[in-house]
Amino acid sequence: MNYQFDFNFLNGNFGLLWDGLKVTLQLALVSNIVGLVLGFGLCLLTLSRWFFLRWPAQLFIEFFRCTPVLLQIVWFFYCVPMLFDVFIDPITMGVLALGLNLTAFNAEAYRAGVQAVPREHLDACVALGLRPWQRTLYVILPQALRSAVPVLMTNGISILQQSALVAIVAVADLMYVGKSIATEAYRPLETYSLIALIYFALSLPIAQFVQWLERRQDAALAR
Amino acid sequence: MKASNLAAVPPRPLHVCETKSGEFITLRDVYKSYGENLVVMDHLDLDMRADDRLVIIGPSGSGKSTLLRVMMGLESIQGGTIRFQGKPYIDGNARGKGKPMDCSLQTQVGMVFQHYTLFPHLSVLGNLILAPMKVHGLSKTQATEKAQALLARLGLESKLNVYPSQLSGGQKQRVAIARALMLEPKLMLFDEVTSALDPEMVIEVQNVMLQLAEQKMAMIIVTHDMHFARHIATRVVFCANGKVVEQGHPDQLFTQPREPRTREFLEKVLHLD
Repeated sequence: MNYQFDFNFLNGNFGLLWDGLKVTLQLALVSNIVGLVLGFGLCLLTLSRWFFLRWPAQLFIEFFRCTPVLLQIVWFFYCVPMLFDVFIDPITMGVLALGLNLTAFNAEAYRAGVQAVPREHLDACVALGLRPWQRTLYVILPQALRSAVPVLMTNGISILQQSALVAIVAVADLMYVGKSIATEAYRPLETYSLIALIYFALSLPIAQFVQWLERRQDAALAR
Repeated sequence: MKASNLAAVPPRPLHVCETKSGEFITLRDVYKSYGENLVVMDHLDLDMRADDRLVIIGPSGSGKSTLLRVMMGLESIQGGTIRFQGKPYIDGNARGKGKPMDCSLQTQVGMVFQHYTLFPHLSVLGNLILAPMKVHGLSKTQATEKAQALLARLGLESKLNVYPSQLSGGQKQRVAIARALMLEPKLMLFDEVTSALDPEMVIEVQNVMLQLAEQKMAMIIVTHDMHFARHIATRVVFCANGKVVEQGHPDQLFTQPREPRTREFLEKVLHLD
């Protein structure tokens, strides 16, 4: 390979990249907040006794699980304004698509956590005279959250990666900025490698933290 | 647990109910089945007095655990009635019921399970004070004092702030008993509480139960340990196929069973021992 690496073209573009990075972080953070909060509510709906609450919630989850994220973003961007006759700015739209996608996946993570609580614990709650809501609040939730945290964090990282997909609908995130710099400077190799490194550097510490957390939990259970 | 510990324990106040006939628990014609084929309580009659310690023995699938679970309100019955402390407790004939109808009576029953059911996210203290605070409305200070006193009696005072994952099986089960005792039950149910324990830990749990027996706690115990059954019971009940086949004083039932099925069962299990 005779390619001459040259990063000089970046000198005037750091500001652009920084702006892109801010948008990416904004997308990832807000989507995660949306996903963590709504995902929990959605999980409660799927565990409901009533069919009319459970069924739409399950449909919502399946919709987001069974269609490509890219399509979901495009659909939100083009179809929501047409269907509802509203114009929402691109970043909010991106957050909406990513956040609702994450909501569906997080709901599943929460649900798995709830179902991992041993049945005997429910019996013990009855034996202790705890009311149903007390059971949920003091016994089931703390245990469920604990086992759901690693999955929730992994989902959170993956939404950071997938946020790059909003570049396709012209949201000026890190990916979008990178693409335009690469095209203008004819330097795709340097630009995309640098962008990749940034995503990597953002995600790796969180991924490592998740691993550490899981090891700690395994160790606690093994004792 | 050391024997000296046991001796030093002050007797706890008695909560013996005051009914004329000594009626404490009365099961009449209690019926429960899973589907059509598996009848686990077949028109069962059983009486218990407040100073009774009932040990229920019998082949697996004979409805021993089910009886405990019904008394605790974990499962419903489909027929018959159960009275507890002279009051109607469970009515299987009421439509859509078959579970305890009186919450205040239900909280006077405590239960310990085969598998440790300590909540892993709470410390020993947290496990003990959760229900007294949330159900009985004790303040945190009151509940903590009570927990400390109780753990001291069980020789577990050093484990107050330890999490369940750091306890041995025997310690977990003793804490589970303490947790049930925190609510000052008048009846304790033990569902094969030593079955999942290593042999050397069985004794420490059984000692705690004997300690309760000394304090005249009413208990219903399901166990496969015939030696312990004979030691702790005031009355042994042999169940098979959802019916009480025979009951009597442990000395009588274990040495001179009247019913052939009891004899057959005892020969099998005692031989295996």
